[in-house]
Amino acid sequence: MLKMNNISKMYQTEMVQTHALRDFNLNVEEGEFIAVTGPSGSGKTTFLNIAGMLEPFTGGEYLLDGIDVGKLNDNQRADLRNQKIGFIFQGFNLIPDLNLYENVEVPLRYRGIKAAERKRRIEQCLEQVGLASRAKHLPQQLSGGQQQRVAIARALAGEPRFLLADEPTGNLDSLMARQVMELLEQINRDGATIIMVTHDAELARRAPRNIQVVDGQLADFTLYQGNPNMAVGA
Amino acid sequence: MLEIKPIFNALLRSKVGAVLLLIQIAITTAIVSNAAFIIKDRLDYLNQPTGYEEENIFKFNVMTFGTDVDLIQQVDLDEQMLRAMPGVVDAVQISAVPLSGGGSSTGFRLKPVPEKSKSVNASYFETDEHGLNTLGVNLIAGRNFTEDEVVLNRDYSKFPKVALATKALMDELYPGEDGLGKVIYMGDQPLTIVGIIGMMKGPWLKLENRKDKSVLLPTVSPGKLHQFLVRTEPERRAEVMKQIESAMHSNYAKRVIQDLTGLDVKKADYVAEDRLMMRMLVILISVLVLVTALGIFGLTLFNINKRTKQIGTRRALGARKSAIISYFVVENSLICIAGLVLGVCGAVLLGQQLMAHYSVPALSNWYVAITAVAVFVMSLLAVIGPARRAANIDPSIATRTI
Repeated sequence: MLKMNNISKMYQTEMVQTHALRDFNLNVEEGEFIAVTGPSGSGKTTFLNIAGMLEPFTGGEYLLDGIDVGKLNDNQRADLRNQKIGFIFQGFNLIPDLNLYENVEVPLRYRGIKAAERKRRIEQCLEQVGLASRAKHLPQQLSGGQQQRVAIARALAGEPRFLLADEPTGNLDSLMARQVMELLEQINRDGATIIMVTHDAELARRAPRNIQVVDGQLADFTLYQGNPNMAVGA
Repeated sequence: MLEIKPIFNALLRSKVGAVLLLIQIAITTAIVSNAAFIIKDRLDYLNQPTGYEEENIFKFNVMTFGTDVDLIQQVDLDEQMLRAMPGVVDAVQISAVPLSGGGSSTGFRLKPVPEKSKSVNASYFETDEHGLNTLGVNLIAGRNFTEDEVVLNRDYSKFPKVALATKALMDELYPGEDGLGKVIYMGDQPLTIVGIIGMMKGPWLKLENRKDKSVLLPTVSPGKLHQFLVRTEPERRAEVMKQIESAMHSNYAKRVIQDLTGLDVKKADYVAEDRLMMRMLVILISVLVLVTALGIFGLTLFNINKRTKQIGTRRALGARKSAIISYFVVENSLICIAGLVLGVCGAVLLGQQLMAHYSVPALSNWYVAITAVAVFVMSLLAVIGPARRAANIDPSIATRTI
């Protein structure tokens, strides 16, 4: 479903070349919940950006649902992102001037979905994250945990095949982090494939599959099948 | 895809910058449409046809201090000398110079004073039978007056019996009738109109009710200070003007030649204030439009810098570059349209006030409409650059901590 073969990403300045990713190979199957860990600067976010088509890669092949991403132009990438990927960001990235309803509506408008269908999906998604009654509130009127739930509702509204979460609990206290994690697990049980970048080892252990990025490569690969409580640290 | 509703809602929630810009657009529209209208009005005024070959005519004053001369006789000699000069078409002594802002006027009547009668104010020029040709104006009916009809006066004791009048004057005195051959009165003196002149502006272009109404009286009554008008062949005016002082002095020396000036220069001096006002208005308009364009440009750039992460997030959520451009264009258009609605009302109100308090004609709605369209186009041009810049924001900014 998501297949990366020998993906590399190089940043070049006048003085230095930096390899953010090297020979990166990954195969993600439908319905997986993968936690991506690794030290700061290891290339986790670069991997997530490439997976989400937010930035181009310099070498290798990336197939998303069988589509060769490297051959798409900017508009095609934007459309594919909109249709197949839901993003959850560390800083929530809600638009402050839009209320919750309008925030969740943003990706649906880009897809050109009709107003009645948008309304149905927005209400359903806000209901799912427990914030239906606050649809007219602005993001700054909510707590951090609530804002991240809105961001999750926004990611879900487009009914994406993939959820890409970048430190989704990084800005939350432990109670809210746990609530958000439980919500993601529920979404995964409902069928969505989730790739979550995290620093939090405890959170990562809750994911059935862990991958670790070190120096731009998939350095370690530990697969936890079944009960996450049985997981063994990498 | 146009996101008008959410953009409108977002604008309502953070409106300070938008309201300031809206006010700026409104003020620009109100002032520019009125100023543009006034400029057009002034341009029409400055470029109006006068009936004269201004660039081929010049005038000069003669201040005679010698007492050993008969002025009427001297004027005749001077005229003969001037008319004989190479390059001169015709020359004449005349009591006033057209387009100069100085001259004489009086009420011309259907009946003599003291009878009650319709009276129309018009300029008059005292000159001889060469006046018509020197002025170069177009006689559309009748004839010029003859040498015999010219009254030579030392003390205004005699009065001419005939005159030439402009069509504008005769049409007002005799609406719907042919003015040729009619009698009009200057005070209690009757004048038979033997010729009708088409276009001929008087000395005062600014006086709307008088500028087209003039009378040529066949009388010569030079004082110690009198003036001549000379028409030359095309391109020969400067050459003739250079010789005037010496030629006049060779004819009679005890006098001073003053104010040797082309008719176009005379007119330019007269309208200098209007020209200055027009230039000031052009500068005002340019500055206003530039400031507004910079305001839009600056506000959009500021909004882009403020919303870098938001733009990256929108791109991450599936916005094409064109959607980002359209976002800023729509946002700006909403502000601009609101500003234009306010500005159009302001323009009409300002126009009414200007008309009420100053001598400005009623503002044409076309000027308001064209200004509104121009301001709108200008706002689109000002926003498109920053909007394209916004569209090029890397979507990966969404995952960065900034």
